[in-house]
Amino acid sequence: MRGKRSVRAVVSFLTFVFAAGTGHAATFDELAASAAAARRSNQLAEAIGLYRQAVDLKADWAEGWWFVGTLSYSLNRYQDCETAFQKFVRLDGSRVPGWALLGLCEFETGNYDGARTDLARALVPGSDLSKDLEPVARFHYGMLLTKAGLFDQGRRQFEPYVRGGSPEPMLVVAMGINGLRRPWLPEDIPADQQDLILKAGKAACAWVTRDTTAQDTFRELLNSYPAAPGVHLLYGMYLSAQPEEAQAEMRRELEVDPHSAAAHAMLALSLMPGDMAGALEHAKKAAEKTADPLVDYALGKALVETGALAEGIARLEAAERTDPETLMYHMTLAGAYSKAGRVADAGRERRESIAMARGANAN
Amino acid sequence: MRIRAARARGLAAVVCASVLTAAPRTKMTCGTCHRAEAESQPKTEMGTGLLLGEAQAPLKAHPKLTVEENGYTYEIERKGGVSMYTVKNAAGSLTLPIRYAVGVRNLTFVLEYENRYYESLVSYYEENQALGITIGDQRLHPHSLVEAMGRLQTEADLTECFGCHATRAVSKGKLTLDALEPGVKCEHCHEGAEAHLEALANGQTAPVPRKLGQMAAEDMSNFCGQCHRTFETVVGQGVFGERNVRFQPYRLALSNCFLGDDRRIRCTACHNPHEKLVREESSYDRACLKCHAQKQDVTMEGATEKACPVGEHNCAGCHMQKMQVPGAASVFTDHFIRILRAGESYPD
Repeated sequence: MRGKRSVRAVVSFLTFVFAAGTGHAATFDELAASAAAARRSNQLAEAIGLYRQAVDLKADWAEGWWFVGTLSYSLNRYQDCETAFQKFVRLDGSRVPGWALLGLCEFETGNYDGARTDLARALVPGSDLSKDLEPVARFHYGMLLTKAGLFDQGRRQFEPYVRGGSPEPMLVVAMGINGLRRPWLPEDIPADQQDLILKAGKAACAWVTRDTTAQDTFRELLNSYPAAPGVHLLYGMYLSAQPEEAQAEMRRELEVDPHSAAAHAMLALSLMPGDMAGALEHAKKAAEKTADPLVDYALGKALVETGALAEGIARLEAAERTDPETLMYHMTLAGAYSKAGRVADAGRERRESIAMARGANAN
Repeated sequence: MRIRAARARGLAAVVCASVLTAAPRTKMTCGTCHRAEAESQPKTEMGTGLLLGEAQAPLKAHPKLTVEENGYTYEIERKGGVSMYTVKNAAGSLTLPIRYAVGVRNLTFVLEYENRYYESLVSYYEENQALGITIGDQRLHPHSLVEAMGRLQTEADLTECFGCHATRAVSKGKLTLDALEPGVKCEHCHEGAEAHLEALANGQTAPVPRKLGQMAAEDMSNFCGQCHRTFETVVGQGVFGERNVRFQPYRLALSNCFLGDDRRIRCTACHNPHEKLVREESSYDRACLKCHAQKQDVTMEGATEKACPVGEHNCAGCHMQKMQVPGAASVFTDHFIRILRAGESYPD
């Protein structure tokens, strides 16, 4: 404790000396040393000031920008943090934690598009994010994907942590928003829908963990909110191994929300391969409602299976372009290319699929 | 060959027509019109993929089998016409009757214990005519007699297992073991066969089941892959390494010569599902030479790919490696057709 006080005293003295401008202009090395001392003694605001002075002298000092960024993040100064990490990644773009922290700052400042792009860079397979940083980055990335309407991609970010057991309340909420396919962040949830989101989140988590109580959590959700958009869709997806029950739920969803493109798309996928005419009809209806990777995928698959190869492939390519991280899109596209005799394209997609699946397993 | 197939199809149509005009009508089966297929198919590997009771010939031939694994003793003994599966250690023993023996050359057992189903932790392997750890279970280290007896099966596991090894065991995604018929019967692949029979009994032909013979390679791989595992299934489940050598449609799809829109590389180009599996490698040469011209006959119709510089016989012997699944006494033919390089690691 005494040691900490003495370090603080030294830092305060040095800070005073530099700030007072005693005639001795601090060198870069002196500033760097006193910034580090301030940081180590937990005088974060002082440390930020000293690091700033140091990077003013040496603008290509990546470590300095790193500390300006991380310390600003600790003090919730997200705008400063964002600026610092922008400088940092410009100097050293190979260090993925920089992209992760930049993305997290952008999330806080409301620059959601930038945050999504930069978090994606940080989360490329094989990146060396620490065990502390990766869950935070992935959780925020999942929320951003959900907000952007990329629900399946978003859900995949959450799933490993849900499977880890006892998901934290924020994760349950995120799973609820995602499960009901609402393009929201948690702060966007209307007050009268908080319980709905929570119940949906519990059901979605129980599904992912294959919890024996999954059926009960879904029953509670259905009983409480039988007419809420997204509820029957989520339950139908849970029942996908039982096509008839799944289809019935999708049809109920369409009664609740006739404009649900996702329900039409999921119904189309569920009808394949037994009822291709029905599948194609629903996939086309889905495509009338919205442009969405799931919709493109359902229509593309239905078209390919009914012989409209070129048109189907174009749809599948669109789905893959919008959501390149969904393995199924790559695999189905590989099959479609193969059917069309496009051997090289099929081979490329198959190799890509295997690499993605291997990456997912490694994680 | 084409003429023979066309004649066979024509014959079936003639037989159907004669059946329709015959009076009084007899009870129709698939064999009424498709006699050859109906006679040979039940004896095939697919037709005998699930053995019940008296049909469990390998267990009858070996009335007592024993193996020690993971500190437990496993014993399968024939008693009063039923094979009993016993697992024991110093703490006690558990004995259950073998109702379902699943497989063709190797048998894994589905056991019922306290109203739940388990996949036996040991299987019978024809290769050495002995028991050994079930493929995929090598990594398990049981901590109790029940765990040592078998791996608990979910509804989805059972649906997948019986859905492929039996007929009518699954209806609309749900297990219907009461209606189960062991092995793959006509209706299993030819969906709508029963409705077709019913129609014939009423003097009509429609509906006619989908003609599977028209499928090109990609479609057929996906069709057969419903049980033999498609590319999507294997990759989606992340089954990598040598254990996926068992999944032929997946391995075939990796081959340079796999052309999805071509019939010459589809499953039935080599395998007749209505006949027993042919184990003589040279008998498959004809299928290879349909694409790869023989050196002395480069003008062979349709054979546009280059001829093998080494030989023209036993193609599969060189280009389709025989592999043992690690930890199991089973040898599989790798359907990833390729030029094998000395010392190469398993490519997938």
